[in-house]
Amino acid sequence: MKIVRLLLDSLYKIPVVNKAEPLIEAIDAALFGTTDTTQRGPHIVDAIDTKRYMSCAIAALLPATLASIYFYGLRAILIIAVSYMAGFFVEFMFAVVYKHKIHEGFLVTGLIFPLVLPPTTPLWVVAVGVMFGVLFGKEMFGGTGRNIFNPALVGRLFITIAFPAIMTISWLMPITDATFTDKWLTPFGDTAITDAITAATPLAVYKTTKVVASFPDLLTGNTAGSMGETCRIAIIIGGLFLMFTKAGNWRIPVSYIGSVFVFAAIGNYFLPDSIAPPGFQLFAGGLMFGAFFMATDPVTSPFTCAGKYTFGIMCGVLTVLIRSFSGYVEGVMFSIVIMNALAPLIDHIVLSLKYRPVKV
Amino acid sequence: MLLKKVLGAKGYKIVKKGIWGEHPVFSACLGICSALAVSNKVENAIAMGAGVTFVLVATAVFISALRTLIPQRVRIITYMIVIASFVIIVDKTLQAFFPDISEAVGPYVGLIITNCIIMGRAEAFFIQNKISHSVLDAVSNGVAYSYTLILIAVIRELLGFGTLLGMKVMPGGWENWVVMTMAPGAFFLLGLAIWIARAIQDAGSEKEG
Repeated sequence: MKIVRLLLDSLYKIPVVNKAEPLIEAIDAALFGTTDTTQRGPHIVDAIDTKRYMSCAIAALLPATLASIYFYGLRAILIIAVSYMAGFFVEFMFAVVYKHKIHEGFLVTGLIFPLVLPPTTPLWVVAVGVMFGVLFGKEMFGGTGRNIFNPALVGRLFITIAFPAIMTISWLMPITDATFTDKWLTPFGDTAITDAITAATPLAVYKTTKVVASFPDLLTGNTAGSMGETCRIAIIIGGLFLMFTKAGNWRIPVSYIGSVFVFAAIGNYFLPDSIAPPGFQLFAGGLMFGAFFMATDPVTSPFTCAGKYTFGIMCGVLTVLIRSFSGYVEGVMFSIVIMNALAPLIDHIVLSLKYRPVKV
Repeated sequence: MLLKKVLGAKGYKIVKKGIWGEHPVFSACLGICSALAVSNKVENAIAMGAGVTFVLVATAVFISALRTLIPQRVRIITYMIVIASFVIIVDKTLQAFFPDISEAVGPYVGLIITNCIIMGRAEAFFIQNKISHSVLDAVSNGVAYSYTLILIAVIRELLGFGTLLGMKVMPGGWENWVVMTMAPGAFFLLGLAIWIARAIQDAGSEKEG
């Protein structure tokens, strides 16, 4: 390790290489840790720093990532790689121009973003989405800890609106019986894989035919959907890990998922034609993934406990409403982004209710 | 520096301020509403830019010619009447000769009346300056508004429709960015444009000062 230390120290001093200081700094910090204290959010009451928080989040995402790679082969690996490279490029440019350090936050954004994409998304769309997300979702507000919206969701939202044809039609069933070459060696799988079956997502199927997908299929991921959102078992394992390590707060996912269940149950009882049954709503679409990994983002969600419950419940209500009564089949993304915008307001109201000025 | 000789020192300064230094859209954020609404296609942007420039120049002539006669208390109403008359001329001309554009631009021609650039320049400049300077100011502000509109429209039309002035320029298999044809696309681009322009302006002023 001493040699690496010496090498890094000398890299700081070489004039030309100096320009890439944020990059060297990032490698340095990743290998040796840092003595810097966190200057701004996410603030967590623990000896935890942003880096360890982000490492926990990545570890929690691993099961879902492995599931997506298992289901969609080389295609999934390529999409994740493109997402990291394109996003890192924007991050790096900002770090160089504004002379700040590369934030760890992107490591999570760059992994969450590909996991919420349909597996056949063209690679250039992946690049456009993640660059937009990092630029408009994060850097424009001043980088990690200052963003209002979850950057991965901003990117996903942008390409959903920009390329509706690509983003709503190109769903694939998990590729289970493809040959080894087809699955692992053909890079542009959408046309090359002959065994791939296009299919509508369970929520879309429900919207048109009112047929509910079977629970074992939903749990194991044997349905069409975004790359990382289909295998619910993997997501639940990752989510529990996140809460066990306290990197993610349990209040938001619990209140989010709970309110979806309750609200869907009430709605389904009174309006069975438009609102899907509650059990199906829990396991269909991106609810699990969104509730565990996106709504819990410490930067864009409220920091007060009461605020977290409010945030989760309103997310749940909005999700059911959008799923049932809008033109879109899935509402998780929209509801989290809407609530991201309201998070500071929720905190403000909670704090002003809690700490009222003393009346003399 | 030929321009400086032709316009004189004061005139040159006015033009420079209007086109870049005190750019109506980038510096003052005026005329944003119409810039967002009609910048979806280049031809609409050109029509709108030309219309606004025409109304600006005509207003400049009238307001600065009448500037000693307009009573202080009713000056805003006077601007409105002058502007509205010329807007109606623009609207009728478009309807008569370019019905397609008139259809596409729709109510936004009528809304030139409330375009803040015209009201703003009338109140800030035309009412206090002589005709020649007012006209220079009107032309440079109109040009600044037009080139901003056209710049954004070029990007929006290229990405959103894959065309330029209605001609197909993007290669086959081009996927249209639907968001660019809608208001959010304009917001993002205009925001980026203002960001970049201000960064350049700041860099310039640091060098000078």
